[in-house]
Amino acid sequence: MLNEERIILMTQMASYEENEGKKNVEIGNYFRSDYIAIQVLKSALSATIAFGIVFALFIFYDFENFMQDIYKMDLLDFARSVLIYYGVTVVIYSSLAYVICSYRYAKAKRSLKCYYHNLKKLNAMYNERQ
Amino acid sequence: MTGLLELREKIKLIYSKNEVFIIPIAKFLLAFIVFNTINGQLGYMTKLDNIAIVLIVSLMCSFLPTGCILLLSVVFTMLHMYALSLEVAVVGLCVYLVMFLLFFRFSPKDSLVVVLTPLLCIFKVPYIIPVVMGLIGTPVAAVSVGCGVIVYYLLNVVAGSASTIGTMGEEEATAKIRMIVDGILDNKAMLVMVVAFAITVIVVYLIRRMSVDYSWTIAMVAGAIIDLVILLVGDLLYDTNISVINAILGSIAAVAAAKVIEFFRFCVDYSRTEKVQFEDDEYYYYVKAVPKMTVAVQTKTVKRINTQRKPAAAGGRNTAGTGGRSSTRSVVTEHTSVARGEGAYQRQRGQSSYGRKGEHANGGRSLTINGNMTEDNIEDFDDL
Repeated sequence: MLNEERIILMTQMASYEENEGKKNVEIGNYFRSDYIAIQVLKSALSATIAFGIVFALFIFYDFENFMQDIYKMDLLDFARSVLIYYGVTVVIYSSLAYVICSYRYAKAKRSLKCYYHNLKKLNAMYNERQ
Repeated sequence: MTGLLELREKIKLIYSKNEVFIIPIAKFLLAFIVFNTINGQLGYMTKLDNIAIVLIVSLMCSFLPTGCILLLSVVFTMLHMYALSLEVAVVGLCVYLVMFLLFFRFSPKDSLVVVLTPLLCIFKVPYIIPVVMGLIGTPVAAVSVGCGVIVYYLLNVVAGSASTIGTMGEEEATAKIRMIVDGILDNKAMLVMVVAFAITVIVVYLIRRMSVDYSWTIAMVAGAIIDLVILLVGDLLYDTNISVINAILGSIAAVAAAKVIEFFRFCVDYSRTEKVQFEDDEYYYYVKAVPKMTVAVQTKTVKRINTQRKPAAAGGRNTAGTGGRSSTRSVVTEHTSVARGEGAYQRQRGQSSYGRKGEHANGGRSLTINGNMTEDNIEDFDDL
């Protein structure tokens, strides 16, 4: 005999697993610190590559003048200012990533809590039958 | 209103029945329009500006994930830029990479928005996107909308500078890069548009989440007005040459589009709002429940009345009192129904698609068979 309530619950859970739950389950596999650390590292890497691209574009933008001035300018001072810009970019972007990932982790955990509750309920239904 | 609600239910039914075909067709049409528009706007690579290629790529997009439309659009624009000049393609690639690395990685699901925003900008109705995304999306959609606006202005700058770049020689590589970079960075209209759209998305989202009556309507009107005001203030400050008439008409179109979406996504009856209050050991709860407006689609009932003649006894012998034949009348009633419920409006139940006890769900049809079942009736049942 089919148990209607159980089928409804299982369908809801399957739908959750297929759609929004997929990502949440993936997030839920990590500890909070691990998940945030990985995401912040990825963000720092992205910011580094993006800064490299923008810096290269900046150099090519005024390449002739840059090549003329390269022997006159204080290279150490130039490198220091570039590093400061780089540091500021990475720190701001990583902080933003930290805030977003913390929010996403908390949201995923809340959602998974409901999912695990449904799992328990399903288990209880099977036990009841036995 | 009841007629509209019935129409909505019918549209939903048609969509759910034919989802397998509708989604690929929609993807194909969108991809076809997008690639054709790119070819129309840029079109520097003549080999790519070919209807056969557009059709093949659009067909590919119809069964690939939605993100592929964005990816192939980027490839199309990059190839056109490369045909114009290598330096332009390098700048284009840098802009796409920076957008992908810094912004788009936080909202990869909104790839459709990044495609639709420049498309609607070209069709002069970009004001729809921020209002609609504020209603159906999250504040993160502001990033995708912003990226879409930047893509539009990148294509605009490339198309605008194409004739000048075409006359430049290969030795003027830095001048070409400078021209495109200046065209993007000094573009105040782009800046104003990005700010206006981002603020609109966030404002619409915040208002529609508020617990006030008609929050969606308030949100869409407020969003359209804020968008318009920021664009006009930006025009006054930076002389962005935004067409005021176009902006007003676009905002009206945005509200109209948002109203249609509201009808499908958030059609509620505020006159039947219920406010309840209760408590448990830890909290007091103040709950406001607003019922959704739904209507039962008209139920079609087909009655089949079969009169059969069957021999009462073997060998052609008659049974006394039957007049030689027993006549059995059986009725097969077929109900074709989608939503169940009495009255014009009913609360939509979370599990309305599941059948009730004793009913046999059969592809959206339920069958009721009377007790006087004959062989022919059983065949009818099997056919159904």
